[in-house]
Amino acid sequence: MFPRELLPLVAILVGLYLAVVALSYWWARRIKREIETKEREIKHRLYEIAILKEISDRTGYSLNIQKILDVIAGSLRQFIEYSAASYMLLEPSKIVFKVDLDQSVSPQFIKDIRGRMLKSLEALLGRTLTDMPVEETLTGAIMLDDLNEPAQSFFNIPLVIGNQLVGVLTVAHTKSGLYKEEEMAILYKIVSQASQAVTSLEDVVRTEQDKIAAMLESMVEGVVMTDRDYRIVAINPSAKEIVGYAPTGIPTIFDLAEKFKGMFDLKEKLEESIKLDKLLTLDGATFGDKYYQILVSPVKANRGAMKGQILGGVIIFHDITHEKEAEKMRSDFTSMMVHELRSPLGNIKKIGELMKSSKVLEDKEASTEYAGMLYESSSSMLDLVNDLLDVSKLEAGKFEVDKQSANLKELLVERVKFFDTTARDASVSLKVSIGEGVPDTVLLDAKRTMQIMNNLLSNALKYTPKGGTVTVECFLHTPGTAIGDEALRFGLPWFSDETQKNTSKLEKSVVVAVTDTGEGLAPENIEKLWNKFAQFTSAARKGADHKGTGLGLVIVKGIVEAHGGTVGVGSKLGSGSTFYFTIPL
Amino acid sequence: MDQNEQYKLMMAEIIAKQSVILGPDMAVARARKVNGLEVSPEGLVVGVTGDPAEALEKLIDTYVELSGQIVKNALGPIFTKYPSIKQLS
Repeated sequence: MFPRELLPLVAILVGLYLAVVALSYWWARRIKREIETKEREIKHRLYEIAILKEISDRTGYSLNIQKILDVIAGSLRQFIEYSAASYMLLEPSKIVFKVDLDQSVSPQFIKDIRGRMLKSLEALLGRTLTDMPVEETLTGAIMLDDLNEPAQSFFNIPLVIGNQLVGVLTVAHTKSGLYKEEEMAILYKIVSQASQAVTSLEDVVRTEQDKIAAMLESMVEGVVMTDRDYRIVAINPSAKEIVGYAPTGIPTIFDLAEKFKGMFDLKEKLEESIKLDKLLTLDGATFGDKYYQILVSPVKANRGAMKGQILGGVIIFHDITHEKEAEKMRSDFTSMMVHELRSPLGNIKKIGELMKSSKVLEDKEASTEYAGMLYESSSSMLDLVNDLLDVSKLEAGKFEVDKQSANLKELLVERVKFFDTTARDASVSLKVSIGEGVPDTVLLDAKRTMQIMNNLLSNALKYTPKGGTVTVECFLHTPGTAIGDEALRFGLPWFSDETQKNTSKLEKSVVVAVTDTGEGLAPENIEKLWNKFAQFTSAARKGADHKGTGLGLVIVKGIVEAHGGTVGVGSKLGSGSTFYFTIPL
Repeated sequence: MDQNEQYKLMMAEIIAKQSVILGPDMAVARARKVNGLEVSPEGLVVGVTGDPAEALEKLIDTYVELSGQIVKNALGPIFTKYPSIKQLS
């Protein structure tokens, strides 16, 4: 017999056993649930990683959101059950609506989700989309008219790229209560990550585009870019300004071609360039008072999948006005040189003919006169040839000076005396003024310095009217003061200009200047003085009274610079000019 | 109408709008997870515990967390209807 007193103990033991069993069962169930949850989480995470990898693999660095959506929609069935996975994309003139059916549904089902997706977009945009055409594409299972199951479970995922709504992705099913919040949240996360990737990529592309646009806009040359259909896709402000296209926005190729009317058919040239894959260089385009060389070229992709393919065309406006002007100046220079040589040569020939054909040689007085004329003509030619030789040496960098210790003050006084007769003939007062502190001897090439003074004095006397004054000045320059200020301190006549401000930085030198009370120079002509061609043209304009090659100042500059000095001009139109040079001590 | 009721009505409108945008399954599921909000399966706000302004902020945040700032921007007209309730920045 079982002792009765043990019954409570047995009961306790049984109870304890049952409690242990129940606890174990509860514990096992809890562990199982946790494992299931973990498994589900891992499955979701794996799906998330897999789909993001697939997007990356299949679309690469793509900005094509439709391609990305196709990948997401195509992979959805691995993760979630659906009757239809669809997306709507907003385009400028239409809405793309694509549906992938995993099971047959009724046309009403499609109409239903289409309506819901449009409402979602309208709610986000705050406007209706009724006027937008919807381009619908269905893939997967077929639609069956006799089915009558509406969409009972569905959710929409807005597609946002760079803070702009671009569309909506929708998952729908005929069964109700199918989608759990956590499953839906994973899809939101995936779409969000894909959108962020596209946004980041777009930012990079936009930054690069902005850089290119900034470069294009800052270009002095006009640039027009077209696509393969000859639509202008970019035009910089320079191009618009050159052709005189005032409206804002991008002109059409026809607008641009109109501006080339009378020159050539721009569109035809662009077509030719793209068709023949050839750079065309077109001269003879003039807009306003400027000349342009127009370069028309195809634009080809040089990397990636499209390598070698023609993307469009580019038109470049290259300003060749200066080249044209230089060409004209060179031509003027040559003809003027020929003319300058021709006159004395003509004289020599005539005298020669005269002497050959008559008895002029028997007449001593006439012979002397003709000999003098021969001397004048040949001297004139020799001067010209010498000038040309000097300029040629200067340009070749072979011009040299022979610096010796010389008395500059005496040299200047002697030159003034030499020109005294010419000055008196022209009724011009010629003076020399030497400031204090000028050394008795200066290291210089006396012959070349005389040449400088001959040029400056003959010019000054040529351009100073009757009753005027020409003053030769010489003073000491010390660093820290502008030359003009020093001249005025010495009480010397002086015409200053902006360029002389920097003369305070010049080293200790002797300054020699020739100031006249002539007609003066316009600022735009001052900068041309030292140019071989421009100076010549300027001199040529002076007419018969002021003949000359105009090479004198070019040579003066060369001689002074060979001494290590500098030249300059100050002038006031209608009052006079100061031409100066320095010789460093 | 007292302030609390206004908040409840406004939050119900927000859930309704998000139901159009995101679909009712997601909009209601997210709203029901907001602490301090009691939401019916149909999306009606039946009770608010604690500060209703805080509950409103949490409700909007849950949708923003899901789909970004654009869903918040769509709520502008609802805030206009309730001028006594300050729009959240």
